Amino acid sequence: MWTFIIRRLLQSAIVIIGVTLITFTALQMSGDPTYLYVSERATAEEIQRTREALGFDRPLPEQYLTFLGKLAQGDFGNSLSYKRPALDAVMEALPATLELTFFAMILAIVVAIPLGVIASLNRGSATDGSVMTIAMLGQSIPSFWLGIMMIMFFGLQLRILPISGHVPFIMPLIQGNFVQAFTNLPQTLYYLIMPGFAVAFYSISRNARLVRSSMLEVLSQDFVRTARAKGISEWAVVIHHALRNAWLPVVTMIGLEFGFLIGGVVVVEIVFSWPGLGRLVFNAINQRDIPVVQAAVVVLALVFIALNLIVDMVYARIDPRVKL
Amino acid sequence: MKTLQSILLAGAAAFALPAAAHAAPPANTIVVGLSADASTFDPAQISSRDNSNIAKHIFATLFTVDFEGNVAPNLVSNTDVSDDGLAYTFTIKDGLTCDDGEALTAEDVAYSFNRPADKALGFTGNTPGFVYTTLGFKSAEVVDEKNVKVNLTAKTTLALGMMAQVYIHCKDSYEKMTVEEAATNPIGSGSYRLASWDRGSQIVLEKVKDPGTFDTIIWRIIPEASTRTAELIAGNVDIITNVAPDQVPAIDASGSATVAKVNGTRRMQVGFNLGKGVEGMPGAKEIQDPKVRFAMQYAVDVPSICTQLLGTECTRMTSLVNPPNGNPDLVPIPYDPDMAEKLLDEAGYPRNADGVRFSIRLQGPRGRYLNDANVVQAIGQYLSDVGIQTDVELLEWASVYSPLLRTKEMGPLFFLGQGGVTWNPLYDMSLFSTPDGATNYQSWTDPRWFDDWKLAIDANTVEEARPIINRMLKLFYDEGPWLQLYFQPDFYGVSNRIDWQPRRDEEIELFAATLK
Repeated sequence: MWTFIIRRLLQSAIVIIGVTLITFTALQMSGDPTYLYVSERATAEEIQRTREALGFDRPLPEQYLTFLGKLAQGDFGNSLSYKRPALDAVMEALPATLELTFFAMILAIVVAIPLGVIASLNRGSATDGSVMTIAMLGQSIPSFWLGIMMIMFFGLQLRILPISGHVPFIMPLIQGNFVQAFTNLPQTLYYLIMPGFAVAFYSISRNARLVRSSMLEVLSQDFVRTARAKGISEWAVVIHHALRNAWLPVVTMIGLEFGFLIGGVVVVEIVFSWPGLGRLVFNAINQRDIPVVQAAVVVLALVFIALNLIVDMVYARIDPRVKL
Repeated sequence: MKTLQSILLAGAAAFALPAAAHAAPPANTIVVGLSADASTFDPAQISSRDNSNIAKHIFATLFTVDFEGNVAPNLVSNTDVSDDGLAYTFTIKDGLTCDDGEALTAEDVAYSFNRPADKALGFTGNTPGFVYTTLGFKSAEVVDEKNVKVNLTAKTTLALGMMAQVYIHCKDSYEKMTVEEAATNPIGSGSYRLASWDRGSQIVLEKVKDPGTFDTIIWRIIPEASTRTAELIAGNVDIITNVAPDQVPAIDASGSATVAKVNGTRRMQVGFNLGKGVEGMPGAKEIQDPKVRFAMQYAVDVPSICTQLLGTECTRMTSLVNPPNGNPDLVPIPYDPDMAEKLLDEAGYPRNADGVRFSIRLQGPRGRYLNDANVVQAIGQYLSDVGIQTDVELLEWASVYSPLLRTKEMGPLFFLGQGGVTWNPLYDMSLFSTPDGATNYQSWTDPRWFDDWKLAIDANTVEEARPIINRMLKLFYDEGPWLQLYFQPDFYGVSNRIDWQPRRDEEIELFAATLK
């Protein structure tokens, strides 16, 4: 187990360096960022002065090595737009994104598994057809469009859900303000419903199809037939025998799910004015705020690696055939 | 049954509490929906329009520019200008205070001018950059407790208007703060103070003194235009900016809000790149001829572009100067494709056998200006219709378009909007202050313009320079480097519960806003 963890951590270091190199190169290739930080009427001297002050006049390898050296000390430099440490800006936005992503992940599991199970147990029926139609819709509808439609219907027509905004839960927790966090919780969830569902709808659909096909495969296996022959109730057969084996592929998917959902939250965060990392990175890319982009990418890569590590360990725990 | 009732009651209670958070704003609060968050509240670092719109409620300025474009004293009771026009001595009004409770003195004003210029602090905001470059700021010094002297490097009629953009802040508090602390702890001299800033969500200001009708101003950050519209219609915000033209009917029909349209000061044009950046490219030689440039003005149906693509009628441009400061003798060039063809023939560019006179590239940004991509494509079609085969190229603003603009390699034709003002024609004309100036993206070098420019800026007043200004604007009209389009209209969504007028210069001023 420990050998596995150490090996994965070493691999992660290489991945992080690769991620930073690619991000750095891509952003530099899109032009001189100095122009974004001087006035329209800046003279050539003023532009040069700013370029030197921001370090953009140095050779790219030197800029990159300087960045790596500082990265090792947790210093990503100051955000060029926000004029404060880039890591602070990222860490401030991360909790909101984690709230949204975890909520969407929970929805993607809690809603998808029953749907998949119901569809598999009613294979070929109208129920199965309905679930699969919804699943197909979920995989076809873009999240930003779904978000806008939900705003129009639930926010504007019915006025039962907030159109946009965010009430923090994780941030007060981190700050040790537990009373505030749990006081906020009902509102946090209330504000999460629409953006969470907009992010999760695709995953719910995919997971439901995955659970259905996996269940169909497991339900036809000998050990399920044996369980039924022993007179165990159908409920127990489905939950304890079939589902336990059928949801292994879903667990694998959860690890990858995070990366996918993070990609999906960018647009949803903009539509719902959610002050998260996706929106921060989107703005930073537009403004070519290199330190913020790099800090965000590295932090997200670390979160992604950590989650996958946890998923691998959970996988080994629930499937005795897997050895780490 | 009882269990079911309990569950329903609990559910209702859980939703009732958050639902209360979505009531309309209270009577003493006004809520504005902006597309972008502030990046800093350090007065020396502020650079974006949204950021400065908020900051103007926290920091007072020596002068203000009113709705009509007049520069009026704000914190000063008297202004004295030296004979050579290089020193301005201001007397500060009595009884002014800082948000930290101390009296606002000449020392604070001098500090407010000198701090942004401190090279050691490396500020890159609008004040140390554009404002001080245009102003020719040299230094500020305390004369006595009530009087402060601002020294300039050159005489300019723009001085007071530019000084109206310098935020007055409080020396003692700022000297105790690091630059990082100053970014989030503004200590100003204005009507409001920063109460809270939830980054990416909202900024709350609380009133500390007059002027100001509302006790609280909330600036909500809502990047998506359709979400801003939904929040306005739902009654959760009172004012929204940058309403898309296609959403205007929905707002007007909502019964809860209307759209206020204003002809802005942003000058929309097709620039003719006459410089080396496009030398040798198709069309670059042809547009060197002023007759060709003038002919092209007749080829584009600007009123139709406005009504069809921007959803409103526009104020047409006759020069680079915003009304009412332009040359009153000039009238907008009408859409007359026959005249365009005639003038192009006369200029020596007849249609070839294939109907093409010459080819040229028109570049434009996507998503930078109101419906820009469609406007650029329409212009390209109008030019092609008179035999100028126009290849339209749409580019991403931040990473491609803006850098090309800076290096003057756009075009040969390029679509651009440049902000202007209502308070001084020379400000608008200063885009062409030198042949190689940073904002002379067209590399226009006509010596008649630049000779007159020296005379115009040497005048003591705008009135004194008026004959020269009118001569320059006539030259710009006949032979200038712009295909003149329109002043970009701005659309604001305004809740029916408030009375508020938008300004032409994109500033959002809430001091005079009231409940209906």
